[in-house]
Amino acid sequence: MFDWLANPNRFNRITEKIQPCILVITIITLISGLYFGLFDSPKDYQQGDAVRIMYVHVPSAWLASFLYFSLAISCVFYLVWKHPLADLVSSTIAPIGMLFSVLTLVTGSLWGKPMWGTWWVWDARLTSMLVLFFFYLGYILLSNAFERKIDGSKTASVLAIVGLINLPIVKFSVDWWHTLHQPASIIKIGGPSIDDKMLLPLILMIFALSFFSLYMIILNVKTKLIEKKCEALLLKSNLEKYRKQVKI
Amino acid sequence: MSLQLSFIQIFISHIKREFLINFRSLVDVISIISFMILIVTLFILGIGPFEEKLRLISNAIFWIGLILAIIPSLEKTLQRDYDNGWLDQSITSPTPMELILLSKSLAYWLIVIIPLVISLPLFIVLLNINLKLIPWLLISILVGGLSISLIGIIGSALTLGAKRGNILLPILIIPLIIPILIFGVGISETVRINESPIGNLFLLIGFTLIYLVISPFISAFLIRIAISR
Repeated sequence: MFDWLANPNRFNRITEKIQPCILVITIITLISGLYFGLFDSPKDYQQGDAVRIMYVHVPSAWLASFLYFSLAISCVFYLVWKHPLADLVSSTIAPIGMLFSVLTLVTGSLWGKPMWGTWWVWDARLTSMLVLFFFYLGYILLSNAFERKIDGSKTASVLAIVGLINLPIVKFSVDWWHTLHQPASIIKIGGPSIDDKMLLPLILMIFALSFFSLYMIILNVKTKLIEKKCEALLLKSNLEKYRKQVKI
Repeated sequence: MSLQLSFIQIFISHIKREFLINFRSLVDVISIISFMILIVTLFILGIGPFEEKLRLISNAIFWIGLILAIIPSLEKTLQRDYDNGWLDQSITSPTPMELILLSKSLAYWLIVIIPLVISLPLFIVLLNINLKLIPWLLISILVGGLSISLIGIIGSALTLGAKRGNILLPILIIPLIIPILIFGVGISETVRINESPIGNLFLLIGFTLIYLVISPFISAFLIRIAISR
């Protein structure tokens, strides 16, 4: 299936049709999610209105981890099957994922100020999100650290895969270390322990942000494909000019 | 005598080579220990000379000092061989690169850990570490040092030929090393409050075993990428 999608022309043709649909879904879920989240959901009996930060915080935390997973998967595709498109995908996923991890940290500390009384608490989940941020940063820095682009993307892909092996261990060890965060409340055995009215905007926001990042990834990959085409055309025209000069 | 060397012989000869290179000049060894002493001094100067405070965080200072002292010397492990063409030669040899790298990381482990074990009494005095901790500390720096050198080889292979690799290396390595710090400090802390540290020790050993398996393959893969440039 990926083999089939990896042809840039086919990718362009298919995404041409999908892209508007994704945009529409993003807008609808984002608007309805924000409406339900900000106006039509109950206040928490302890946290008051500050609970509404959750509708951005939880989806971006989920996406930051999910995007790292997909980054590593596309790096595997790049290293094993050497699809050039996989490299483009992973180099666009990395900044988006890093953005979401920053968003998680910022909203987490905004939420922490009224709840815990400080901007930053070294709690297990925030700490492992910080580590995830550094994995993204390392990937981006390493992929730009070489003279030739292809060396950087190969080496950084290995780093992403090592990170995929290491991240669960980091997550586990940081959890083991200490925690004062709330235990997971959405995915839990015996159903979620959260009110339906709060769950609805949360799920809508998760869908909205996921489709948004999918849209951004497709857009970025298309831009990079066009850039590559331009580079190739430029080289070609330069070559023709050079040939003409040599003949004269 | 047959010309075919067994893997064990190759392994031992590589370790010997690393030892010769590293112990011929003692600068590296001395710099690791003095760097660690300086880090400890900085910590003590930062928190002030208070006995109670020091007792609470001495284990953390010891482990952070250990990790920070090892990191600067990691970069050289492969870079030197890459620069003088030794890696290009050994990739053409019939010996698998994975074996060479495994022996390299074990040699590096011994080179780093021997001076640290010798200077352990010094740190016990400096940091006021409880005497009943010594056997556990010894085991945990042996195991933890092995995993640091295995991860370090990966990091060193990642930054081969990179621009500003020496600055990049700590950023790539430290997130991978976090579990070692947590389990290592966990061992010392559980002993300090009179509980069994066996759980943390097993976790540390398990972490090390994972990297013992994957590290030679990953770094050999990376070196093949670097050589093909």
